[in-house]
Amino acid sequence: MSEKLFSLISRILEVSKAQLSEESTPESIENWDSYNGLLLVDELESEFNVKFSVEEVFDVHSIADIKRHLRNHGVILND
Amino acid sequence: MYPNEKSLSYYIREAKNLKKIEYGKKIKIGILSSFTITGLAETIKVKCDKVNVNCCTYVSGYNQYNQEILNSNSNLYQFKPEILFLVIDSKNIFKDDYEVFYTKNIDERKKIVEEKLDEIINLAKIFVNKTNSKIVISNLSIPSYSSFGILENKDYGISQMILEFNQKLNARLKNEPSIYVYDLLQFFYRFGEQNIAEPHKIAIGDIKITFDYLPYLAEELIGYIKPYLGLNKKCIVLDLDNTLWGGIVGEDGFNGIKLGPEPPGNIFMDFQRWILALHHRGIILAINSKNNLDDAMKVIREHKHMILKEEHFAAIQINWIDKIQNMKEIAEEINIGLDSIVFFDDDPRNCEIMKTALPEVLTINLPKDPSLYLPLIQNMNDFNVLKITNEDKKRGQMYYQQKQRSELKNETVNLEKYLEKLETKVTIKNADQVTIPRISQLTMKTNQFNLTTKRYSEEEIRHMMNDSQMKIISVQVEDKFGDNGITGACIIKLKNKKEWYIDTFLLSCRVIGREIERAIMSFIINEARERGLETIIAEFIPTKKNSPTENFLDKCGFKKEGEFWIFNTSKEFKKPSIVSLIVK
Repeated sequence: MSEKLFSLISRILEVSKAQLSEESTPESIENWDSYNGLLLVDELESEFNVKFSVEEVFDVHSIADIKRHLRNHGVILND
Repeated sequence: MYPNEKSLSYYIREAKNLKKIEYGKKIKIGILSSFTITGLAETIKVKCDKVNVNCCTYVSGYNQYNQEILNSNSNLYQFKPEILFLVIDSKNIFKDDYEVFYTKNIDERKKIVEEKLDEIINLAKIFVNKTNSKIVISNLSIPSYSSFGILENKDYGISQMILEFNQKLNARLKNEPSIYVYDLLQFFYRFGEQNIAEPHKIAIGDIKITFDYLPYLAEELIGYIKPYLGLNKKCIVLDLDNTLWGGIVGEDGFNGIKLGPEPPGNIFMDFQRWILALHHRGIILAINSKNNLDDAMKVIREHKHMILKEEHFAAIQINWIDKIQNMKEIAEEINIGLDSIVFFDDDPRNCEIMKTALPEVLTINLPKDPSLYLPLIQNMNDFNVLKITNEDKKRGQMYYQQKQRSELKNETVNLEKYLEKLETKVTIKNADQVTIPRISQLTMKTNQFNLTTKRYSEEEIRHMMNDSQMKIISVQVEDKFGDNGITGACIIKLKNKKEWYIDTFLLSCRVIGREIERAIMSFIINEARERGLETIIAEFIPTKKNSPTENFLDKCGFKKEGEFWIFNTSKEFKKPSIVSLIVK
């Protein structure tokens, strides 16, 4: 499932998967601006069939955060 | 939902990968909005690319629409969009008052509506006065909730206010030729506020229309771009079996086909009704069907539930010849470009073959479920026009008259005799407010008899009309079968005291070959003489389609000098005797 997650992030933020890691943040990835961040949220929601709250959206500062919140919604991600 | 759209992120990605270098047409559009609408421009670009249009976009900063329009030096005016879309939302318009009107009395609320209307209309007018462009402003969506609760309609709450705003917006802009109102309320109604407005997106990003609905909005707005560029479709060509009725007449028989008030026959009646409505609005209809002519005509002529009748069709090809050949003949008979045709057929193979052989035709493979035919055609944005002219409304009738003309032609062997019998009357008039839309439409649509194929928007024509050096005329053609309406136009420019330059000389294909072009030229030459001009300069700019115009200047006695054609007004020029000319 992590594979699916990284593919999605790489597609939306237009960076190669090799450049992505758990530690990737909006600061380290050029395209990760606030708009693309929302677009990412939208795509995650439809891909994993979840709905994030505003608090959760604001709490995302890295890919690790995304994974944490997906897990909280019961999404199983194998690493 | 029909049809299904791709996601916004798909369009945003695609927009970065547009590689085409040469396009058929190009357009510049501006997008101003009162909320975050990122991605709309990208989607419009990609969608335009698919119909061979190079679309350049300008998107203003978040909620900058007032400044952009009011400031003559803004980036917006430097970009010079041909169409500007202004998408606004109720909350932004009513600001702090929104939802808390109950502190104000009804008169005060009415006053606020009037003030807001003035603001928006004023902006639109400022924009069109500063440019030669069109502006499309959205009306306001109505929230589906009210703080007045069940008493909303007994009071004058937010719904009532917006309703009044929208009605007055339409009423006050009805006669503004360059300002259009886009029905955003209907868009919300169609897709539903609960789907479009996602609370967390509104809260975080002021995204009032959530991502995946923007492609649908883009499609709606392209409905303005297509007619602006003359890419709208003028003719619907229809298959018969399982298209206009259910079943196959050759197998199921006259009484076996499904067409009538009972389901599923009602589906086909509704589909036919919609097509008839388009026809009344100026869309030409034709039939292209593999069938026994007698079987099919019996249904068309005698079936009591057929909504479309023989007289609605400008061309009928029912035979066992292949549909490609039939399509070419329909185009020729109606005298229309293949790229102006939409073809509806239920058979996927027929559609594949048509798409491959005649890619210019927009071929629509009807879905398996006939109840989806109607939503499909209702969702098409290809039949839009920016103005319905009198000619559009009468078009159906005109094609019927055209049929009668060809019948007379078949009876009359000698062409000259035929033309004489037609008793053609040509009326030439200076352009005025009434004829400007039609003149613009002719410059956009006329391909075959057109010396220079210069396309002019209404605004450009209006602009030229105010220039004393320019003469713009409309040409109306009548004959014993009826009125063809305005079917020709010329734009002439005074170059200097002695010379006139024919910038535009065009004639609709419906009336070509009847000496009308010579009658118009005789008018121009006479007029030049009366004004004491010595020379008329004309130009022929060849295109793929205007070969019928190629020899016209030569035949009129113009002499080629370099790139231009010159006529000395001292030379004699005879008006064709079979055409009577009226100058108003």
